[in-house]
Amino acid sequence: MASRENPTQQREGVGQWALAWRRFKKNPAAIAGLIIVGFFAFLAAFDRLVAPYPPNCVPTPFNPFCTGQYSPLQPPSLAHPFGTDSNSYDVYSQVIYGCRAAFYIGFGATAVAMIVSVLIGLAAGYFGGNTDNLLMRLTEVFLVLPFFLILLLFLKVLYYFSNTGAGGLEIEILIIGLFSWPGNARILRSEVLRVRGLEFIEASRQIGASANRILFRHILPNVLHVLIVLTTLQIAASVLIEAGVSFLGFGDQTVATWGLEFYYGFNYISDAWWVETFPGIFLTLLVMGFNLLGNGLRDALDPRLRE
Amino acid sequence: MSETLLSVEGLRTYFYTYAGVVKAVDGITLQVNKGETLGLVGESGSGKTVTAQSIMRIVPTPGKTIEGTVKFEERNLLRLKESEMQHIRGKEIAYIPQDPTTTLDPVYSVGDQLVEVIMRHQPVSKRYALAKAIELLHSVGIADPEIRINQYPHELSGGTKQRIAIARALSCEPILILADEPTTALDVTIQAQILELLKDLKQKLNVAMVLITHDMGIVADTCDRVTVLYAGQVCETGTTEQVFENPKHPYTEALLSSVPSLALRKETLSVIPGSVPNLIHPPSGCRFHPRCAYSRQVCIDKDPELEPIGEGRFVHCHRWKELDLKSAVAS
Amino acid sequence: MSMTKYLIRRALYLVPVFFGITFLVFSIERLAGDPVKLLTAGQTRVTEEQRQLLRQYFGLDKPVYQQYLLWLSELFTGNLGYAYTTGGGAPVSTLIGQRAVATLELQLLGLAFSLLIAIPIGVMSAKRRYSKLDLAVTNTSLVGTSIPIFFLGIMAILVLSAKTGGLFPYGGLESISPNQYPYGSAILDQLWHLVLPTSVYTFAILAPVVLLVRSSMLEVLRQDFILAARASGLKESTVIYKHGLRNALLPLLTYVGLYFGGLLTGAPITETVFNWPGVGRLFVQAINNLDFPVIQGVVVVITLMTLVANVITDIAYAYIDPRIRLE
Ligand SMILES: Nc1ncnc2c1ncn2[C@@H]1O[C@H](COP(=O)(O)OP(=O)(O)OP(=O)(O)O)[C@@H](O)[C@H]1O
Ligand code: SF4
Ligand SMILES: [Mg+2]
Repeated sequence: MASRENPTQQREGVGQWALAWRRFKKNPAAIAGLIIVGFFAFLAAFDRLVAPYPPNCVPTPFNPFCTGQYSPLQPPSLAHPFGTDSNSYDVYSQVIYGCRAAFYIGFGATAVAMIVSVLIGLAAGYFGGNTDNLLMRLTEVFLVLPFFLILLLFLKVLYYFSNTGAGGLEIEILIIGLFSWPGNARILRSEVLRVRGLEFIEASRQIGASANRILFRHILPNVLHVLIVLTTLQIAASVLIEAGVSFLGFGDQTVATWGLEFYYGFNYISDAWWVETFPGIFLTLLVMGFNLLGNGLRDALDPRLRE
Repeated sequence: MSETLLSVEGLRTYFYTYAGVVKAVDGITLQVNKGETLGLVGESGSGKTVTAQSIMRIVPTPGKTIEGTVKFEERNLLRLKESEMQHIRGKEIAYIPQDPTTTLDPVYSVGDQLVEVIMRHQPVSKRYALAKAIELLHSVGIADPEIRINQYPHELSGGTKQRIAIARALSCEPILILADEPTTALDVTIQAQILELLKDLKQKLNVAMVLITHDMGIVADTCDRVTVLYAGQVCETGTTEQVFENPKHPYTEALLSSVPSLALRKETLSVIPGSVPNLIHPPSGCRFHPRCAYSRQVCIDKDPELEPIGEGRFVHCHRWKELDLKSAVAS
Repeated sequence: MSMTKYLIRRALYLVPVFFGITFLVFSIERLAGDPVKLLTAGQTRVTEEQRQLLRQYFGLDKPVYQQYLLWLSELFTGNLGYAYTTGGGAPVSTLIGQRAVATLELQLLGLAFSLLIAIPIGVMSAKRRYSKLDLAVTNTSLVGTSIPIFFLGIMAILVLSAKTGGLFPYGGLESISPNQYPYGSAILDQLWHLVLPTSVYTFAILAPVVLLVRSSMLEVLRQDFILAARASGLKESTVIYKHGLRNALLPLLTYVGLYFGGLLTGAPITETVFNWPGVGRLFVQAINNLDFPVIQGVVVVITLMTLVANVITDIAYAYIDPRIRLE
């Protein structure tokens, strides 16, 4: 029964991606996720048009870009639909700019995490033996590292060099990515182990295809569906981690992020609920969007993985 | 004629999956008489296991038995309350699942798992149940039952596990045993031993049995009657002798011709060209028509009836009367 | 027998991990700046010589590796050093000791309660797979995993805490003065303070645990031995709990072991939200003050807690699974 052809290249009738899309369409939760993510992507792309004020805008007479009045902690009103925070920033504008930052963080950190996971997962699964052993030990080490603490420490170093943490967002993204691969690599490894046993890969190994070619031409396409799902879920996780960092005041304060708004608002919870509530809702919605999307993709791409 | 013990009629069990409705069992009818062994044969995926599970009412989700009757000693099992059904399972009808290597719970000892079943159906003390369990192990040919009883499944060989599964099935003296491919997962030498054991026990206890297999050789060796399944439906039913000497269904003919020699028990059947049909969108008319050497237009248009053709024989084919099928194994 | 061997092997391989982590932290924090400068910032009367003296006093003038070795040798005698500023230069072990209890209290209570709630829900959901209930549980959990712990905490504070006129005290371990104790009882007071953080924390980590229980259960319920148990006429509850859950606990344990490590390292967030005097908040303070010995101490303690959690998981695993127990 096992086919000698690479199943991703040769399929009779409707392709597997078309089938997956059909399954995806039938799942309301997945569609909801797609719509949410799409909506946020729109906000992120057109933030400058949607937001009334520039990012991190202190409305002083000396600030030519910002015409608002210096009015900290104002409740929601027509001029400031989400109120203002303790810096007099317009929370609505800050939240809109936060969308772009969130995508930047999510995609950036996930790209890093996924590149590492793919390299390690594929190598461990394909070569097996000592390589596998070594890589899996390394993975375990990374799993017990107090990652969040080390992240905070790193960011403190950045502060020392820049004072505002400027440029810190990129470094933060890099570090989040560099610590987020172990779980993903493990899953990819087990997928590779599954695929490696398939007949067509045995066959191409026997005709002397190079490891590189087998890995990237044959194995990678066959674990692609898993990779897509992991990527989507990793985006959600990365956004959450960054928000936590900014909430503690360790983020890059030159970039408007939702977590930063939390940081500003936290000391004034009893006076100004709006500073926390609106960014929180946006953050939760976006993360939820990616989570729903990821799970929808999992159901659609690989019904076997449903749980 | 002997007394009917189990009579299944028009049984339909479907799986409601993501990809569509899998019509795994689609109108199966069969009988088991007291004390006899019925062989249930068919290729992989023909619905043998699901039939047995439907009789026991243990079809896993998303499967559902949606139609039919399962009459067991005058009761329709499909109508019983779940609590009543629990007292039939394991006590009156026992089921030996397909793969002995996975039918024992890995975290409990052999003794625990036998005692549990014995005490569920019989009002006995734990000590008595344990003694009974040891005796059972002894009766299924396990050496050193006192040691085995305290061992865990991972410490046992496949053959031993299967013997224990058989012991568990026998533990409450059932009237009917459904044995799902009891030998397929085992080494050839062990296969023969387990078959001998089953035949032996059957003789001693006079229990009726449904023996699920895809090995015609085993059928010839052990079964009084046989029901041949294809794609969730019955092809034909008859005594072993009738079916082997004088098959009435083209699929049976093909099955028999794929058995090179009865002495040489083959692991798998299918040397029949074509493959088992998709059970979500099964072929129109007679489900066997894409692979049938005798198919005509009528076979594509219309699903044949399961016709009684006398002496407990049934055939599910439009053309059984006109065809003159030969048996490759007829003596 | 081999369990001990297994544990020893595991411990052996964790030793380099431990050194790696501590050395990493040691080096990074020294990049973060000069604590002496920070300490004396704005104090114009402090001269550069005095600063140098302070550096010598803290041992900061030596090369990093020497500092590290010194710290390690002290560590082996159980001495985590003295804080530069925190707690007026108190011994780090004292500082951490008080707070570690608070951290563990919140973390363990939260984990225990969420397991208690999640297990029945996850089992039920797995049992009725594809049902409306299952769908509702899965989707609710997906939403649940998306809510950041600090947002949930802040919402709870906004609605329920005394800070905004609600019922429960906002954060902290206990009331400041004894005459605020309910019925004059210190124990009641402490319990009263625990209610809000523990419940919010429990709910914050509930969703992933529910999904974990559900998926481990699903994995087990499709095994043949479950079918076999059912086919033997056992009661459904016996099948599900005695056979199903016991087996599902194995993967669950592994996950929970790892998950607990993740939760611990998130302590800075949790504890900031609830104003909870644990090691997480201590860590944030220590970083902000560049209090190196405290930073190191917290990393050591959190890493140790994670490792201990892993070892406990292993032992529990071996206890439940005869395949490991007897090998
Ligand atoms: N849990 C399930 N979900 C979906 N489809 C199922 C499930 N269990 C069985 N089926 C389908 O039901 C059909 C019959 O399966 P069954 O296990 O009864 O075959 P079988 O005759 O026992 O085959 P084998 O010889 O391989 O054991 C198959 O097509 C299978 O795909
Ligand atoms: S009905 Fe037609 S296709 Fe079906 S078995 Fe008979 S001859 Fe063949
Ligand atoms: Mg079967």
